Amino acid sequence: MVNLNVADIQGFVLRGYNFPFARYLLLELEGPEKGRDFIGRIIPHITTGQRWENKPQSTVNLAFTHKGLARLGLPDATLLSFPVEFFQGMKGRKEILCDTGRNSSENWDEVWRNDVVHVWLGVHALTPEALEEGCAEMERIMQGTGGAYLRQAQDAKAVFIDNKPSSKEHFGYTDGFGNPDFEGADRHSQPGQGKLTKEGDWVPLATGEFVLGYPDEAGELPVAPVPHLLANNGSFMVYRKLHENVATFRDYLDEQSRHYAGGKEKLAAKFVGRWRDGTPVELSPDAPDPAIAADPKRNVNFTFGRDLDGVRCPIGAHVRRVNPRDSAGFHGLLVNRRRISRRGLPYGEYVPEGEAVSDKDDRGVIFMVLNSSIFRQFEFVHQQWIEYGNDAHQGSDKDLMLGNHDGSGKFMIQGSTDPQNPPFVCARLPQFVELRGGDYFFMPSLTALRLIADNSVDPR
Amino acid sequence: MPNQSGNVYGLTILSPIIHGAAGDISHDCAIRDYLAGLPRDHRSLFAKVSSTHLARLVVMDDVVFVGTPAREEHLQSKYLVFETNFDGDLDTYLERMAREAPEEVHAVWQHCVGYPGVKDPAAFAAYMKKCQIETTYFFADVNNKTVQQTLRALKLQSGVAHFIEANQGKSASEIQTAFRQFLEKVRHAPEPLAGEYEGHPHLPARGAGATGRTDPLAEESEGHHG
Repeated sequence: MVNLNVADIQGFVLRGYNFPFARYLLLELEGPEKGRDFIGRIIPHITTGQRWENKPQSTVNLAFTHKGLARLGLPDATLLSFPVEFFQGMKGRKEILCDTGRNSSENWDEVWRNDVVHVWLGVHALTPEALEEGCAEMERIMQGTGGAYLRQAQDAKAVFIDNKPSSKEHFGYTDGFGNPDFEGADRHSQPGQGKLTKEGDWVPLATGEFVLGYPDEAGELPVAPVPHLLANNGSFMVYRKLHENVATFRDYLDEQSRHYAGGKEKLAAKFVGRWRDGTPVELSPDAPDPAIAADPKRNVNFTFGRDLDGVRCPIGAHVRRVNPRDSAGFHGLLVNRRRISRRGLPYGEYVPEGEAVSDKDDRGVIFMVLNSSIFRQFEFVHQQWIEYGNDAHQGSDKDLMLGNHDGSGKFMIQGSTDPQNPPFVCARLPQFVELRGGDYFFMPSLTALRLIADNSVDPR
Repeated sequence: MPNQSGNVYGLTILSPIIHGAAGDISHDCAIRDYLAGLPRDHRSLFAKVSSTHLARLVVMDDVVFVGTPAREEHLQSKYLVFETNFDGDLDTYLERMAREAPEEVHAVWQHCVGYPGVKDPAAFAAYMKKCQIETTYFFADVNNKTVQQTLRALKLQSGVAHFIEANQGKSASEIQTAFRQFLEKVRHAPEPLAGEYEGHPHLPARGAGATGRTDPLAEESEGHHG
């Protein structure tokens, strides 16, 4: 059993905070000396993975792009030891990620087009007031040290329904189920969250799939920069701003469901593999079941092995593509190397169904991933399981929700002879989600942050 | 059994490359130059030899010893590695290469030791077999179907998807009529051409103009509902 030093690991690596408000401060660093001064002053504010006696009003976490680490004056021997995808950054990986066409970097927010983001400073808060207070403190440190400039502040907040924060995103789906459980993470395990044993039990994944410095599912230490002290207890983060074309989505769902005998909500459920309330289609194929959706022992606890034909959950449904669970064979060994830990919050105003909505409105999801290898985990999932369908036996079909569609794509719903569950083909898929920017970040341990701040990173 | 996986034959050939220069360029560089310019799509020489599932040509410069203590050792020559998975028997395939892609074959193998030319396909096949080594590892997608069967199945699969999309929701009799028409089309569809593919993300799109013909089954999608 891994005994993690949670006081040394940034809390964001170990868990999502489930705070309804966030601001992601995207910073450009001034230069090595002032930049290090800035980092040193931020360190005491950083939220670690320690268990909370009392829930704080707000949290602070910090991560760097490769350009940011270079700006801080890290030794070349260290900078050159990072994985190549992190060095290239997300923009440099467009061919692998299929970030082309409407998703290409010319269409990104200015801050991401211009390569000025060195630091991601994430502030999460329980209330708008706490958010302002937390961000004001960060602003004071920026100004006090002159070490960093705010290039953009990206606000995000939970969708509020009846004045209560929900887990919904703008298409109306309840999101954020089932992050993978791993050894040493101090939290309640849910059945369905880790990896499957041959006996069919769920157990936590190896720590090294998510935190550097520990053995991963192959029994190896993940590829990491030198010195080890800089890498250990750190993780890599992917940040993607995903614009949601809500009008297009609603129109498409309305139009397609006119021809689908199962009805609109069932069609929406088949797209994702979850009913919009979060009920897994695999567990409840005919109707949403709020009791299941609300039950942590059941809402991620399912497999596809008895539904290999996709009669209940379509083989190309989103949740099945990105986490095939037992259906990829080899007792899940292949899937266990492709798991990602997700974070995120919506941005923009939520528009309830039936009210006028436009694709042009600024709304979507800030989607973040934590993993040990962006190349092996996030990029593989995105390239092979989102933008391609071969592993799911869906040929060149892309993920309906997240795929980079050009209007010619299709999505197969396998169905059965039940008249309420017919086979159905959704064709001419429009692009529901567009990329508006982002990058790859390194989220160091507290030890590593102190090394950086003290200018004592020594790769020899 | 080596070399054979069901009906698919796995061929591995190591052809020694002539040491020295052909004019002002060494033979191995001449092969590399030529290979780099070969088309990889439907104009590939292996589209002409249409029973090919997958083929690759690689110049093997040397094999470097990795381990401790370090050891310096070298191959006796550079080799052209030719790997292919195809339908049918070996002699027929090699003779087809000589008959159906003589220019390409000549351009590559003229740089190899002992190459007899392509004018006599049987002599070419005999030469190639002298350089053969056992194959025990096959292209992962080989599933005992011929190239033609595979292409036809892929086209049919996408045709059926287009058919469902165009007709779902219609009355039973309408669907039946449309399905009969669809079946007729399938029956009379021309044999798919080798090297045809649809929408693979890592290969360049191929316009209908390349072969002067459109996908006959895809027309179904024009009758979209709504």
